[in-house]
Amino acid sequence: MSTKITPAELVPRANDPATMTPRPPTKKKYRKENVNLTAWLFLLPSFLGFLVFTAFPVVAAAGISLLEWDLFSSPTFVGLANFQKLLTDEGFWASFVNTAYFTFASVPLTIITSLILALLLNQGFKYIAVFRSLLLLPYATITVSVAFVWIWMYIPQDGLINTVLSWVGISGPDWLVSETWAMPALIIMSVWKGFGFGMIIFLAGLQAIPQQLYEAAMVDGASSWARFRNVTLPMLSPSMFFVVVTSVIGSFQVFDQALIMTNGGPGTQTTTLVMSIYRAGFENYNEGYAAAQSLVLFLFILVITAAQFLNQRRLVHYDN
Amino acid sequence: MNLQITRRSMLKFGLATGTIASLGTTMGCSSSPAAGSEASWSMWSTGAAEDKVWKDFKNYVDSTLKINSTSNLTPSKGYQTKFDLQLASGTTSMVAAVSGTLIPAYAARGALMPLDDLIKADPSFDADDFYADSRKICSFNNKTYALGLDVAPTILYYNKTLFQELGVPLPSAREPMTWEQFHASAKAFTKKTDVYGFTCTPNIDDLMSWIYSAGGDLLNSDQTASALSSEASMKAMTFVHDLFVKDRITPPITNLVTENALSNFLQGNVAYLQNGPWQVLNLRNAKFEWDVVPFPQGPAGSLPRVSGSGFAIPAETKDAETAWKLLKALTSKDALDIYASAGRNNPARKSAATAFVPPPANLGIVQEILDGKLAGGHTFDVTTNWGEIRQLLSTDLPRSFLGQISLEDAVKSFTPELNALIGTHHETMLKTAS
Repeated sequence: MSTKITPAELVPRANDPATMTPRPPTKKKYRKENVNLTAWLFLLPSFLGFLVFTAFPVVAAAGISLLEWDLFSSPTFVGLANFQKLLTDEGFWASFVNTAYFTFASVPLTIITSLILALLLNQGFKYIAVFRSLLLLPYATITVSVAFVWIWMYIPQDGLINTVLSWVGISGPDWLVSETWAMPALIIMSVWKGFGFGMIIFLAGLQAIPQQLYEAAMVDGASSWARFRNVTLPMLSPSMFFVVVTSVIGSFQVFDQALIMTNGGPGTQTTTLVMSIYRAGFENYNEGYAAAQSLVLFLFILVITAAQFLNQRRLVHYDN
Repeated sequence: MNLQITRRSMLKFGLATGTIASLGTTMGCSSSPAAGSEASWSMWSTGAAEDKVWKDFKNYVDSTLKINSTSNLTPSKGYQTKFDLQLASGTTSMVAAVSGTLIPAYAARGALMPLDDLIKADPSFDADDFYADSRKICSFNNKTYALGLDVAPTILYYNKTLFQELGVPLPSAREPMTWEQFHASAKAFTKKTDVYGFTCTPNIDDLMSWIYSAGGDLLNSDQTASALSSEASMKAMTFVHDLFVKDRITPPITNLVTENALSNFLQGNVAYLQNGPWQVLNLRNAKFEWDVVPFPQGPAGSLPRVSGSGFAIPAETKDAETAWKLLKALTSKDALDIYASAGRNNPARKSAATAFVPPPANLGIVQEILDGKLAGGHTFDVTTNWGEIRQLLSTDLPRSFLGQISLEDAVKSFTPELNALIGTHHETMLKTAS
């Protein structure tokens, strides 16, 4: 039986190892390897920084959380005792609730403010660069300075805020010493301080939305609100996702403003998780307990962020 | 399971991993020699005026010891945290300034070197030249851990100009007012709008002067539980509480963090200020006439808090001999003369006291009080976990001065936790004593 061989079969197949002969590497391959190496070299400082300043402290904190250590004398291994203590520590849970209150109030307010201002700045009016710079100033200013200015603004008797409120017949509260208003006072200040970041991200996102989408929507007779809801928001969702994730992480780590403006008071009304960690570690010399608290905070932020990423596919619209 | 890990092994592990991890990033950067390897000393310093005092200190130390010492100055707010971290990493200066309220905490944790052997071995050193209160502040469990820099009782400043304007009789510098006399005098100023009779900070530090004067205390006699709910302590706290809440003799509290009795007083519309003589220098800039008088006397007398600070040698200092010489120079009469003549505070040595001079005219009462010739004082007794106790007392107690809860409820709410903390302190005391 003779078999007929077609001419095509006589041609060696490109990917057949049996028929392939080793060839010297081409210039293209060299270039690709070079690019990879260059990329790794560029990433190396950042990776080393991550190892030294993030990964190592997290691992060290996990280790220290199993110790009883006052910073000066020899540490003692106590297993999970610090975590057991956390479960029954009312102060820790109070600071947890305060931090959650701060986060769930400040993040939406910051995002709404940022979005509104970004939409305004996207209108392209005269002197827009000046307004953009001015609106970014609070974000660029250090928290300590901003906190001191806001302390002055919150003075009950003749502070700026209560003076303005009195013009419209409202008697303002004793902001920073009031059990009801101390946390809202911190939230207002933090929104003012933080909206610039979201605003810039949103503005970049808005400017990347193709104009044709709006034109098509207008041809279909979509109102301004419909265009915002069905074009702007979906197209802005990747920016929104980024701002939400970073704002939530940042809010759970709130510290400076609470320490400077209220020192956690009155009572424990504005004591935050990071403040509680700081006090345990640097005022009470209880390093193991401070590490246990910081580990719980780390895990909580990890879970929240993971949940946000899991929901990303459902909520975030990517062009491709 | 309690597994003992030595601090050295812990530090070795940290050092090894830290070194490996940071090699890449720090390559090429030169490192300065460890601070502990030279004649160096640490001090808190805020502002140019204080910096100048410490510069003069350094010049004095260098010329006396014929060395080139290094003064490591840190702003007061960050000093303690920095010192803690330096102690933990073994990078402290050879000698460091320590606040009196922290000496028990550091001593109990073995962070400071006991000085008694060095004192005994040095016949030229005269410990008796230091005020008794300073020696007490610098000691823990009958061992000396520091040599005094400054020591002073809380006193009462008064705005002479305001007294004269309102025709209120001036208080006596020789005879402390009774609480009733003080109350009446302070109340007289509140008849005028925006004028107040008295200002102090509504925290435990300022309250202790009233509590001691009433015969109360923070701890019970065997240091096992709180004595703040005792009749005497409650009487004192109620008296001050009423000045704030009931009589409204004090300026309104607008912020518990920045509440500053001194700045209230400097406004010129407050008659009395409770504070220490370390504020004399700040008040010399006041735009009104002022002077000082002894603290008002309560049922137990005029017994304000006497507080101070000192210089200590960290336990891990390798060259104890040089450290001792440096410590002696920093706390010598001549060095304290520089400190006192700059008006910083009353010096811890009696022989240097003459350098802490007027204005104000009555400043001499500070030394008379410390010498036991006038009124009285009570050493500020703190615990080995004072930071925790102070923090606990900073939550509910100030709320009562804001009128948010009653004083009784505040004391009731913090007492169980306070007792637990005092119990921990008691255990530490027993452990360190044995």
